[in-house]
This record gives sequence, structure tokens and C-alpha cells, in this order.
Amino acid sequence: MTVADPDSVEARLRDIQSITDTALSGLDANRLLAELLERTRDILRADTAAALLLDFSSGQLIATAAAGLEEEVVQGVRIPVGRGFAGRIAAEHRPVVLDRVDHTSVLNPILWEKGIQSMMGVPMVAGGRVIGVLHVGSLTPRQFTAEDVELLQLAADRAAAAVQSMTAQADRVAVAALQRSLAPSALPVVAGAEMAARYVPGTGAVGGDWYDVFTLPSGELGLVIGDVAGSGLAAAVIMGRMRSALRAYALETRDPAEVLARLDRKMQHFEPDALATVLYAVLEPGLGLMRICLAGHFPPVVALPGRPAELARVAGGMMIGVIPGAERPVTTLRVSPGTLMCFYTDGLVERYGEPIDDGLARLRQVVTAESPDAACSAVMQALVGRESARDDIALLVVRRLAVPGPQAGLVTLGEVGAYA
Amino acid sequence: MPDARFPVQEVSGVPVVIAPEEIDITNAVGLRTALLESAARGHGTLVVDMTRTTFCDTAGLHALVAAHKRTLADGGQLLLVLAGQAVPRVFAITGLDRVIPHFASREEALAHALDGPLPST
Repeated sequence: MTVADPDSVEARLRDIQSITDTALSGLDANRLLAELLERTRDILRADTAAALLLDFSSGQLIATAAAGLEEEVVQGVRIPVGRGFAGRIAAEHRPVVLDRVDHTSVLNPILWEKGIQSMMGVPMVAGGRVIGVLHVGSLTPRQFTAEDVELLQLAADRAAAAVQSMTAQADRVAVAALQRSLAPSALPVVAGAEMAARYVPGTGAVGGDWYDVFTLPSGELGLVIGDVAGSGLAAAVIMGRMRSALRAYALETRDPAEVLARLDRKMQHFEPDALATVLYAVLEPGLGLMRICLAGHFPPVVALPGRPAELARVAGGMMIGVIPGAERPVTTLRVSPGTLMCFYTDGLVERYGEPIDDGLARLRQVVTAESPDAACSAVMQALVGRESARDDIALLVVRRLAVPGPQAGLVTLGEVGAYA
Repeated sequence: MPDARFPVQEVSGVPVVIAPEEIDITNAVGLRTALLESAARGHGTLVVDMTRTTFCDTAGLHALVAAHKRTLADGGQLLLVLAGQAVPRVFAITGLDRVIPHFASREEALAHALDGPLPST
């Protein structure tokens, strides 16, 4: 059976469009889909309609909304990509029409137990990726036509765009909440030191940048700054896990290389696709020495009173998430009174069409050994200005207060240990 | 379906993906898909020509590392062609220059791909 007249097809498509437009302002994704499915089912004169959304972490399609097939959603049906009817559509990225529904063609027993005779399904595609599958079924044998498939694809495209947009919006809200809950609400109060920090989400997508400062049972101070690759909720969730895992390892061992090695092993085992840069530094209780370990992260910019700021000479180490057992050199820096250290993520210094060294040079020019809050403001003013950056930016500034005494300066003592 | 943003050429059976000028969060997922598809089509070994790339942030590195791991798992290799200063600098800071083989020209990368033990034919 085909839809009668092209005008009415267009009119009905406009109906679908109008649902998604209204929905964007109010309805949540599930209710929007439910509404859309009912319209689609009516337009195609089918008996059932269902939408399964792809869960990227598990690679499964999850029944999210249905019309005439509510048990799919209620029972939480999950179909692995590549298997069964819906799984094949998602894997092959193309419509599939089934003239016979049984256990050989359809994985989900609900469909054939329900008595569905014929089915067609199309991928929901957003931003070039399959994000789900939309399918309709008929309780009487029926030959779905090319026009039917086309109509269903149009409905799926609109559903995909709406779902994507709402997911992105929900993600942004969730990520912002996550970022707020994870950023130290107040930096710890440490005798002899002052600190300040900034976090600014990028315009492209909120990402996985973070900073952390904590005191350790030894009386030492742990300083962390990191950047998880990726964006949105997925990156923010990984960032949250890394942040708390790093804190846990920091309690277990005083060696920053060992902390990052354990973090790396944990990430590679449990989140093998994750990639991040991390800087972890341990400042001794007197604040005079700092042991620092870089996992693919930029070294800090360091300023002494009355002297131009410099990029600290710190041995580099592999990013987190690349190879097992990477070498992790530790560099010990002497931190003389009045020294200010600026830790940052790549969003601060990377600009399109410009070498990173130019960004680093700009940062060095603006950093002075003043109050950390003033330094943060000056850095953000000079490197970010008024235009939001595309990438997110984290900035942490720590200054050892000046006390009377000899001005020794900052000296690289060299590597004191390496973890292999 | 090939992504027009990431042209793929084939030289003696080795796919060569031309990376764009800027790789960031807006196109990294597309690049990753293009790389994985090309890796699957060839013998597992893949060349990524980053000669014209002047910007590559962590999102871009993520795509490259994913392709590197996939090619290794398939018994192949990801070979990069790096030019200029910006990208080699990022590779040095992140440590990736010690893990992913890289060459100054496409010819050198291809010679390595064809002369090396891989791809097996």
C-alpha cells in the first residue's frame, strides 16, 4: 500500500516537521519520538512503529519509543549493532525491508510474537553517524514500496536531527553540572601559598579539561591539570573518573610517576578508547621543591619576581591511554619564595593558523609573579580576550609567597626517577 | 561512503588519507571514521598525509591514536607524513612521536609501508 497523493505526503511531512520544531522548545527526546512515531505510523498506515537509539558505549540499540509496540520500550529491548533486523540497518547504514518476520530475520521475539508480518526500517543519521533506527511493521502481509521507505527516511532524518539537538542540549546542561561539581569549590588554604583558577567551556562543546588541588596526608600538596580528548558528556564523564582515580592513587604513593602510571593502567584497562594529557605535581610541605610528571601535557610557565616568565624545563612523558608501561620521568624543580607557577590546558595556547610556540610566547609575556588571581585575569584577558575559544580552557595558578631570604631562583635538578 | 573532507588515494595498495589543514573537535570524528574505513580496506597499513595540517588538537590526536591502535591490532601500521612545525611540536609534547612512525615526505612513508614486513601480500 502506498500513500495516495504527493500533496498529502508533503502536508504530512510538514506535520512531522512541525512536531519536531515545537518539541525542541519543550518536550524531552522520548516524548518527541513517541509523538513522531504515532504520526509516522498513521502516515504509512502501519500498525507499529518503534525507535531504537544507539548507545555508543555498549554498541547496542536501545528501544526508546514505540507506537503499538510499547512492550519493546517497557522491557528495555537491546539489539547489538550488526545483529537482527534493526542491528543490520544500523551496521549497514541503509534501509531494510522484510517481507517475512520470524526468528531468522528478526532478533527480538516481541516482534514475531506480536504477529508482525512485514517490516521496514531506516537508519537515523545525524552528523554523518548512525544514532538510531526507526522501523514500522504491519500485522497483515504487505509489500512496502520505495516511496514508503523514502517517507520513513524523511521522518527518521527529522527525528535524528531533533534527538541530536536535544541530546546535545541535555549534554551541555549535564556537563556544566558535572564540571561545577568536580571543580574544587574552594581551593585549599595552604600556609605560604596562594592560588587561583579559571575554567571556561569552549563554544564547540564542553569538554574534558579539569584541574585539581589537594593536600596529602604527608603534608604535601598535589596539583593536577588535565585534558581528556573528546567533548560533551562522554569526555566529561571520563574526566570525572580520571580525576577521582588520580586522587585515590595520590593517597597510595608519593611518586608522581607511579600515580600517573597507575592512572594510565587503569584507563587503558577500563576505558581503552580514552586519551588524555595530564600534569601531576607534588609540592613538598615547605613548598621549596616540586616533583612534576607530565603525561603528554604542556610544562608549566614559571615566573620569578622581577624576571621574565619561562617555560619550565620538564622532561616529557607519554599521554595517558596510548601504550602500556610508558616511561614516566619525574623532574624536580626548586621553587624559590615569590615564584608563581601557571598550569594550563592546550585551549589557552593553541590558535588556528599559529604555531603553539607563539601561544606559549604570549603566555610567557603576560605571566608575572603577582597575585594568582591577578595573573589569571591577565592571562585570560590577553590570551582569550572577548571571543570565546572553540576548545575549553583550564588555568591554575599557584604562587609561593615571598618571604625574606636568599633569592635562589628556579633550578632544574634533573630527573630523580623514572617508571618503566 | 567516503567523506569528501578526507580524500583517500591509493598508492600500490596502500591507502593514503589526506588530512585537512585543521583537525579539531568539529571534524575529528569524521577523520577517525575515514581512517578506520581506509585501514579496513587496505592491508591494515595506512598512511596519513598531514603535510598541509597546521592545527591538530587533542581531538585530532584521539582520531590518530585510535587508528594507530586499530592498524596495530590488524597487524599493520599507521604511518604519518608530518611537515612544518606545528604538528611535530604537538607530537613531541604528547610523546606520540615516539609511538607513531612519522616521515618527512609521503615517498618515505610509502617506501616504509611497501618495503617493510607489512603489508603481507
